[in-house]
Amino acid sequence: MNNKVISLTRVIFKNSFQNMETAKSKTENKNKRKIGMIVLYSLIFIYLAVIIGVFSNGLIKELIEINQEQMFLGLILITIAGFVLIQSIFSAINILYYSKDNEYILPLPIKPSEIVAAKTNVLLITEYFIITIIGLIPLAIYGILTSANIFYYISMLIVLIVFPIIPVLLSSLLILIIMSFAKFTKNRNRFQLIATILVFIVVFALSFTTSNTKTTPEELVKMVTEANGLVEILKGTFPTLGMALNGLTNQSVINQILNLSLLVITTLIVYVIYIVIGQKLYLKGAVGNLYSGKRTSKKIDETKMYKKSSLSKTYIGKEFKTLLKNPIFFMQCVLPAILFPILIIGLAFAGIKGEQNGAPIDFANMITDKSSIYIGMGILCAIQFFLMFIYISATAISRDGQTAMFMKYIPVPLMKQIDYKVIPNIIMTTFMSILTIIMVEYLLKLPIMYLVLITIAGIIMGVFQSYISIIVDLKRPKLEWNSEYAVVKQNMNLIWPVILGILNITLIVILTLVCRSFINSYIFIMFITVMYLLLIFIVRNYIKNNVNKFFEKIY
Amino acid sequence: MIKIENVSKSYIKGKKSIDNLNLEIKDGEIFGFLGPNGAGKTTTIKMITGILNTDEGDIFIDGKSIIKQPLEAKREFGFVPDSPDMFLKLKGIEYLNFLADIYEISNEKRKERIESLTKKFEIYDNLNNEMQSYSHGMRQKIIICGALLNNPRNWILDEPMTGLDPKSSHDLKEMMKEHSRNGNTVFFSTHVLEVAEKLCDRVGIINKGKLVFVGTYEEMKEKFKENKSLEELFLEITENEQ
Ligand SMILES: Nc1ncnc2c1ncn2[C@@H]1O[C@H](COP(=O)(O)OP(=O)(O)OP(=O)(O)O)[C@@H](O)[C@H]1O
Ligand SMILES: [Mg+2]
Repeated sequence: MNNKVISLTRVIFKNSFQNMETAKSKTENKNKRKIGMIVLYSLIFIYLAVIIGVFSNGLIKELIEINQEQMFLGLILITIAGFVLIQSIFSAINILYYSKDNEYILPLPIKPSEIVAAKTNVLLITEYFIITIIGLIPLAIYGILTSANIFYYISMLIVLIVFPIIPVLLSSLLILIIMSFAKFTKNRNRFQLIATILVFIVVFALSFTTSNTKTTPEELVKMVTEANGLVEILKGTFPTLGMALNGLTNQSVINQILNLSLLVITTLIVYVIYIVIGQKLYLKGAVGNLYSGKRTSKKIDETKMYKKSSLSKTYIGKEFKTLLKNPIFFMQCVLPAILFPILIIGLAFAGIKGEQNGAPIDFANMITDKSSIYIGMGILCAIQFFLMFIYISATAISRDGQTAMFMKYIPVPLMKQIDYKVIPNIIMTTFMSILTIIMVEYLLKLPIMYLVLITIAGIIMGVFQSYISIIVDLKRPKLEWNSEYAVVKQNMNLIWPVILGILNITLIVILTLVCRSFINSYIFIMFITVMYLLLIFIVRNYIKNNVNKFFEKIY
Repeated sequence: MIKIENVSKSYIKGKKSIDNLNLEIKDGEIFGFLGPNGAGKTTTIKMITGILNTDEGDIFIDGKSIIKQPLEAKREFGFVPDSPDMFLKLKGIEYLNFLADIYEISNEKRKERIESLTKKFEIYDNLNNEMQSYSHGMRQKIIICGALLNNPRNWILDEPMTGLDPKSSHDLKEMMKEHSRNGNTVFFSTHVLEVAEKLCDRVGIINKGKLVFVGTYEEMKEKFKENKSLEELFLEITENEQ
């Protein structure tokens, strides 16, 4: 890696993260805000770390009891591989192709291989942030609980640094291949979108189904009875997983070193192959050419051309058009609402269903039972979890960028426009809630009355999330951006829907625990619905009363 | 008619970007707003259109206060902002229809207006394309068409000629003349002094947030007792006020 690559990496990285702070007026005290932000992010980090820590602690202890603690290492490594694979698909397409710095980098005398290497470095660095949370903490806890020696911790660090590289390279390579085809298609934006979604689904499905490899009952018995036998199931799921696992756990140090070396060498070979192919494909793809608008030579259909419709319809239509026609906005704001429920619930239950020989689990008679309140809680928490990924409201104003001032000079009340901007979010969250319920029903078979109630509760929660998210954007809109990616990815405002989501989940869980002894499932769901209705009323009124103040800084 | 009364505005505390501005643009008048970069033209226009709040003072459009009756006031003007890069993902026709729905224009009326305006500016054939594919001048033209769609009595245009080709620029000037002849108001900012001189009934010159001259070109020459070109006078006026 030469100096050019390193400095290019630094520039791209800085450039993509300097915009993270939201726009603010010059009068505000910068330092105070900065400290506040740091404190906030540390708190979030600690919160996540504690949750993951507690979870790991419990799981490891259980596994130690049945002599299968190495299974934990396997699970964590699989999670890392799956997570990095999926996450990198989106970041790869954005960092390699949609980033505006291409306009400045491409005219410079830099070799394609160097650009690809630098951009891949940026991809990797971003992944390492997440790996600290989902990898480092659990593996360190594992070390403590199994009273591992210093060599474990050294191998742990090596594995955490080296192991995620191949998943990143794989996703990135897939994107490079797709994009080199994009050149030949007519409607480039749409092609990229569909192709990316397809790759996403394929990778997602693969990373789950490979963990369900078939084993014969005899083998299974052997694995379960043997100490740490179960982990063998996982070793075949990802090419370098076995090396990483053996590097972490093998009895003899020599063997561990051997496996770690193997891991490093394999990764190096893949890296070299990746760079060789990557530099060939990169410039062939649609780099720098992605922002061309669509031109149709079709004559305008005069009968349809001038069609008066209600303001609400056109305004919401306009919001949807800008969301759908912009691949980045679409992928980040709309797509998760559709993909996440299907994939996560579907695949998570695929295993359970397999064991039940395909018959849905019958919860119909359980539902009146007091303990069934947990089913309601689970579904609501799942819905709330998916809600956190729908950013339409949370970026409603920011997405307009400099055009946001348009809202202020047209003769339409601001609150009305806010409602119009929230509605696409409500539509998507409603769609998502219904999808989630359908998936759950397919797998669990709940009584119809209960389903209806819980669907309503989910929709109401979505409405609440939609309104409360737009407050975040109204308070600190990010209007000065030069790439769509900055709005939906490098926008620290987006941490708020996650915080609010986590708080909401916590609230639902606490309410469940409080209510479980004296309220049945039906009443509980109705209670939650009414509570959120009330909250919506409060939040919307708050926006309404402060709408002029919010818009003061948009000009 | 546009009336600006004792308006002040500062973006940063203690530094007035607009300092006690008073201005009245009468019906049937084309008013040119001149001033060096950063003088406060866009700031003034943003306050007239309600994009920016005033710190002090009030602004009336056809007698309706932009502060107290914002919705009524906003119905009285058409506005062309200084940057035409808006809603680039929409097709031209979608943008115009969107505006027509905002201003509640009937089907027949919008057909007639859209056709006549876009044909005049020669972008009719591009209406079915996304605005992202438009050139700078074409974007400027479609924004102008949008602003004039509901035939507002007051036109407020921030540097409308930038990026327009000679013919479109000429057409726009003719339209402004005709509009004022019908008893309406045109208020626009520009850096092209020649346009201001030939087109405007009156000009206002603003420098560092203060209005330093209002009147006709003749009055300007009289006031400074010199028979110089508008360019020379402009440079002199804005220089003296250091
Ligand atoms: N968003 C802002 N924040 C802080 N100050 C601003 C902002 N916008 C404008 N200003 C300041 O206000 C003053 C007037 O700016 P304005 O944009 O009105 O000038 P202008 O006359 O339109 O100039 P130009 O001819 O370049 O368009 C300038 O000193 C400028 O620095
Ligand atoms: Mg200006």
